[in-house]
Amino acid sequence: MQELEPRIAAYAAHRMPDATDVRVAAVERIHGGASRETFRFRLHWREGARELERRLILRRDPPGSLIETDRAAEFAAYRAFRDSSVPVPEALWLESDSRWLDHPFFVMEEIVGCDASPQAIVAPPYAQHHDKLARQKWTILGQIAAADPEKLGLVGALPEVTPGNAWWHELDHWTRVIDEDELEPQPIIRAAIRRLRRAPPPPPARLHVVHGDYRTGNFLYDGEGDIRGILDWEMAHLGDPLEDLAWSINRIWCWARDGRVGGLTSKAEAIRIWESASGLRADPGALHWWELFSSVKGLAIWISGGREYQSGSNKDPVLAFSSIWLSNAQNRAALETLGKLS
Amino acid sequence: MKPDVGTVLEVVGGKLLLEVAPAVGPGYQRQSVALTGILLTMVKEEWERSASRRVEENAALRALFGRAASVVTDPELRRRLGEAAASADASFQISLLEQANAALRTLLIELHAHVESLESPAARALDDEIWSELVASTERRRFGLAPF
Repeated sequence: MQELEPRIAAYAAHRMPDATDVRVAAVERIHGGASRETFRFRLHWREGARELERRLILRRDPPGSLIETDRAAEFAAYRAFRDSSVPVPEALWLESDSRWLDHPFFVMEEIVGCDASPQAIVAPPYAQHHDKLARQKWTILGQIAAADPEKLGLVGALPEVTPGNAWWHELDHWTRVIDEDELEPQPIIRAAIRRLRRAPPPPPARLHVVHGDYRTGNFLYDGEGDIRGILDWEMAHLGDPLEDLAWSINRIWCWARDGRVGGLTSKAEAIRIWESASGLRADPGALHWWELFSSVKGLAIWISGGREYQSGSNKDPVLAFSSIWLSNAQNRAALETLGKLS
Repeated sequence: MKPDVGTVLEVVGGKLLLEVAPAVGPGYQRQSVALTGILLTMVKEEWERSASRRVEENAALRALFGRAASVVTDPELRRRLGEAAASADASFQISLLEQANAALRTLLIELHAHVESLESPAARALDDEIWSELVASTERRRFGLAPF
């Protein structure tokens, strides 16, 4: 990590022309989503007579990852929701030039004093706050759904779709990922894809911001049961808000292994909170389509990570672990959604 | 091999998770070591069943293809189903069982898509049978650590 410190400092100095004595310390790699290498560090600098310090996060593109995503879209999403009711860290710098740190990256604020682990949230001391966390989690998701992407400046920053083809765009994308990356035949998810294509969902009334990976594990929470930051916007796009709702209640995120979605509450309660916050209705038939889609997308992600690991392009154990641990569970989730599990 | 493969994987996985990981500094490296420990316990589970689940599944798929031949309307698909139904696993070497399994499951996908396009009661019954096999296939691959 030490070799990164002067390089990050050089970049920060380049971005902060009024700063002097720019130094970086305590660079530490952390788990922060499987799509990018994530580091925390402390930035020190002087402005005139003042000595300043800030704790920051660096998200750098790896050679291979679970999700091949556009860092510009992620950065734009963080910026768009800054100063809104949706808590996000401040996004500072986006850099596509690989000369600084070998790969493109962006830098954002570190929100300290929080946990993000889905395993920790189901245990004390957080377990006593599950009602509060659930209320906040799906309220925030409802607020994302209620937001106007035009006013947020995200139209143009995110791929162009229409309400009518948003479902097709997503299904086509993730089917292509499976086509390209599968290491073995996937008869369950192929059947699910055929079913989804035969009966598309009704289009949303308008386009909404879709976080794309909204789940327990991708937000920061504190010991008081408050959600302090929504993270991992790397799959943010425009589309149908039911996509996010369905993903958030995906069966594989039942971390407490007891049927509570996200390890927090019942599926019905999560939907009720979301409807109340978004002002939208979760049409059961449409939501069912997106729930099945969630299993297609999920399996595509696990397959893709497994491919990266097997090819040797990325040997992060989280890729092998996720692929092995969750592929079968995702297939079972698809079977459950289809009413095939007894 | 003695000590058994399963024992070695379990012991090494446990050591990584409970002894090595806590001794590594907090952060990414500790989590990676712990994750590798858990991964080895899953590999142990898969190693134990790796031959049996493939043999069982290959046999189930061949039997299903044999019953499907009378329902299928595409002559070329029917011919290939017949060939697959008559095939057998010549070796219990995992890589060869896996190769056969992949070929059979690829054919299952084709069969399933074909059956979905048919209206007859026999086709619907075959569709149910395919789904039953798909449910069984997930149970064969299920891990004790599965989230549900």
